[in-house]
Amino acid sequence: MIQALVDGILLGGVYGVISTGLSLVFGVLGVVNFAHAEFLMLGMYVAWFAWRMLGLDPLLGSVLSFIIVFAVGYGVQRLLIQRVLKAPPAAQVFLTVGLMIVIENAALIAFGSDFRSVSVPYQVEGYRLAGIFISAPYLYAFIAAVVLSLALWLFLERSWSGRAIRAVAQDPMASTLVGVDTKRTYGFAFGLGVGLTAFGGAVILPYITVSPTVGGQFVVLMFTVVVLGGLGSVTGALVGGLVVGIVQSMSALFFPIQLQNLFLFVIFIAVLALRPQGLIKGA
Amino acid sequence: MRFALKPGHVVLLLFFIAAALLPLFVDPRGHLLRVAAMALLFAAMAQSWNIVGGLANQISLGHAAFFGLGAYTSTLLFLRLGISPWIGMLAGAMVAGIAAALLSVPTFRLKGHYFALATLAFAEVLRVIANSWADLSGGPVGLTVPFLGTQPLSFAFRAVSSYYWIILALLVIVCVVFYVLAHGAMGYRLRAVRENEAAAEVAGVNTFRVKLVASVISAALTAMCGTVFAQFTFFFDPDSIFSLSGISVRMAMIAIVGGLGTLGGPIIGALFLIPLEEVANAYLSSRAAGLSQLVFGLILIAAILIQPRGIMAFFPKSRVKTPPKAQPATEGARG
Amino acid sequence: MTPTNPKVVLEAADICVTFGGLKAVDGVSFSLHQGEIVGLIGPNGAGKTTLFNALVGLQKLSGGAVRLDGETVSGLKPHRIATRGMTKTFQNAALFPDMSVLENVTTAALLRHDLKGARAKATEVLARLDLSPIADADVADLTFPQKAMVEMARALATEPRVVLLDEVMAALTPSEMDEVMDVIRALKGEGLTFLVVEHHMRAIMALCDRLIAVNFGRLIAAGTPAEVASHPTVIEAYLGHGAAGQEGSHA
Repeated sequence: MIQALVDGILLGGVYGVISTGLSLVFGVLGVVNFAHAEFLMLGMYVAWFAWRMLGLDPLLGSVLSFIIVFAVGYGVQRLLIQRVLKAPPAAQVFLTVGLMIVIENAALIAFGSDFRSVSVPYQVEGYRLAGIFISAPYLYAFIAAVVLSLALWLFLERSWSGRAIRAVAQDPMASTLVGVDTKRTYGFAFGLGVGLTAFGGAVILPYITVSPTVGGQFVVLMFTVVVLGGLGSVTGALVGGLVVGIVQSMSALFFPIQLQNLFLFVIFIAVLALRPQGLIKGA
Repeated sequence: MRFALKPGHVVLLLFFIAAALLPLFVDPRGHLLRVAAMALLFAAMAQSWNIVGGLANQISLGHAAFFGLGAYTSTLLFLRLGISPWIGMLAGAMVAGIAAALLSVPTFRLKGHYFALATLAFAEVLRVIANSWADLSGGPVGLTVPFLGTQPLSFAFRAVSSYYWIILALLVIVCVVFYVLAHGAMGYRLRAVRENEAAAEVAGVNTFRVKLVASVISAALTAMCGTVFAQFTFFFDPDSIFSLSGISVRMAMIAIVGGLGTLGGPIIGALFLIPLEEVANAYLSSRAAGLSQLVFGLILIAAILIQPRGIMAFFPKSRVKTPPKAQPATEGARG
Repeated sequence: MTPTNPKVVLEAADICVTFGGLKAVDGVSFSLHQGEIVGLIGPNGAGKTTLFNALVGLQKLSGGAVRLDGETVSGLKPHRIATRGMTKTFQNAALFPDMSVLENVTTAALLRHDLKGARAKATEVLARLDLSPIADADVADLTFPQKAMVEMARALATEPRVVLLDEVMAALTPSEMDEVMDVIRALKGEGLTFLVVEHHMRAIMALCDRLIAVNFGRLIAAGTPAEVASHPTVIEAYLGHGAAGQEGSHA
């Protein structure tokens, strides 16, 4: 039981990070990015190639993932997303759905359908603490996620760019008046959002294999996390990630593995129906 | 209802006649007819989606749920109880209609992104259930419809042309339903709901009932397409029948590329996209898996950015009535 | 002027609306008699539109009740209340933008007719409001006063007994205003009851049998137009706006 709780927390920290970007993008741009999970997949591939070609541990490669996917995201936002910001939701939904299809299949063409994994020395190691087993790759991924979350928080709170992002999220018009370049800020926020998920993708590479369809495993999970936390809320997504991680590993105690996700979906629809603003209030 | 025959309707009528005659001129068992049948089936699916997505402007990303329910209901009734798929088709429509009604209760206040997310999750729930509850569904390996030769009462035929005509008939039915909904009293109410829900309520429109009726009809018709698909292809599994990109998105995409909320849009969209995909698969897939899907995604993006009203907008006088105008800022629940 | 028919059609009993702790409508009670035209006045932000929304069911009450012909209608959905005979117009002309004028009005007439009957009813209502020439126009092409008139036509097409008019005469010229007032008076003669929000005091004074004044969500005066207009609290509400913190400090 406590073992499941610990597993859930380790898992949930990473869920939080990969989902935070989705919430951030919605909060700032008002767009639900259905292609978000595909950027996770891109991040995983970047880290995989960094490991394969440069011998970089995915925990370090994650920085590379963040930077490259950030750049891709910035470009995607300026070229595509920017054009539908004022369009009806249908256009926004299907633009990002189209993006999802394009990225997934571009990856299929570029990388093939093989499952790829990395081998790192700590892969099967772990720590034993008061009878609880803590798997090393899960622990390291969790620590990386926590560090990044703190960095994100500091960035949004302290830096000028971070405050510009929050200002644009609250009132784009007023932000323009005080000299914030909203278009650049939108691009920056989108890049940051997908960069975060790419980072998360990289740090879980030691225990999850990557393939072009890996995004599909995460898409509903991410939405559950952000809807739990309240779409647009960054801290909400982090807490939502923990909740989802714990629910998932707890339910594994009582139900077959396939039904784990079922639980999440039911929560997801229930939260959407009853409290679309999310269960967890946050900034 | 006053019936004024407009040029667009004449074109549509001529199209149906031409489509009905097609099997007489091509190989009745050939590949071409198969592709044509598939295009018509996807046109019927997209038209069913169009009732919710185009007329009520509720962006469903989960219509695969109803499609799969139709396929599973009729096939399981036939395999387990020997009930004819014809009856199974009606049973499937009922099951899907009930599912849509149940789903309407928690989702009817949701708009835009939130509705899309909820419907997406619903289809995913069914996919997971179908994969895990193997005793009922046959699990991840899917279901195979036994080949029986030609047995019309059991919805089984040797010739592709038989399926083709059934699919065409289904498309005609779906189009008639769409037309009646769009142009009857219901059409006024649907448009009112789409454009301003609060004003519609105050003007006496029962907005919940209007959305409920639209989604139940849409789901039931989609389920009928699911049964026909199962009979026509003889095989399906949970991941393909409840697929987000393969079914849900494609249904919506065909309607959008053709012309959202228009009668002709889904037909034009399907006749454009499905053969295109077929050609792409035939010539490209041997070189690179995923290329045709990539092209699909690019077309969707291009359609949204270049002409969000779809191909129909290029025809004069088609009076595309469904530019989904900007929605009120309140996205989630109304207070 | 005393009402010729003293039957109460609409009764608001101590209704309250709260937005997250802020009382937008705070215990308002009044009655409308059949065939009356009653004006609802108050400074901007006094809660007039919120009160309208609460009456027709668009806004949930946090207390009190709304009764139509003695039957409680609060808690019902707006379309149920419209069926019972009460509807309203929207201040900012919330027409269905993708429909023609006739289609807008027909949608409302569908409440009591089939499609054919609804078209006939809508045509009749448009003729009555002198809107027949623009029946086939797209509402997007209308001027603001025209939109307000179509709003009124749409409300009348539900064949109501009580109509809440939210600034339908804003932006009208004085002669247009007189025409609209004539129509409202004629409808009153047929037994319709009106509750009217209007910023033109001239129109209010000329049209209304009685006035109700609200401020900070509370009823501050009620009576004949002359009485209410000269009521010290009402004058203070308008002139001393923001100066006297009479009802506590609401932002």
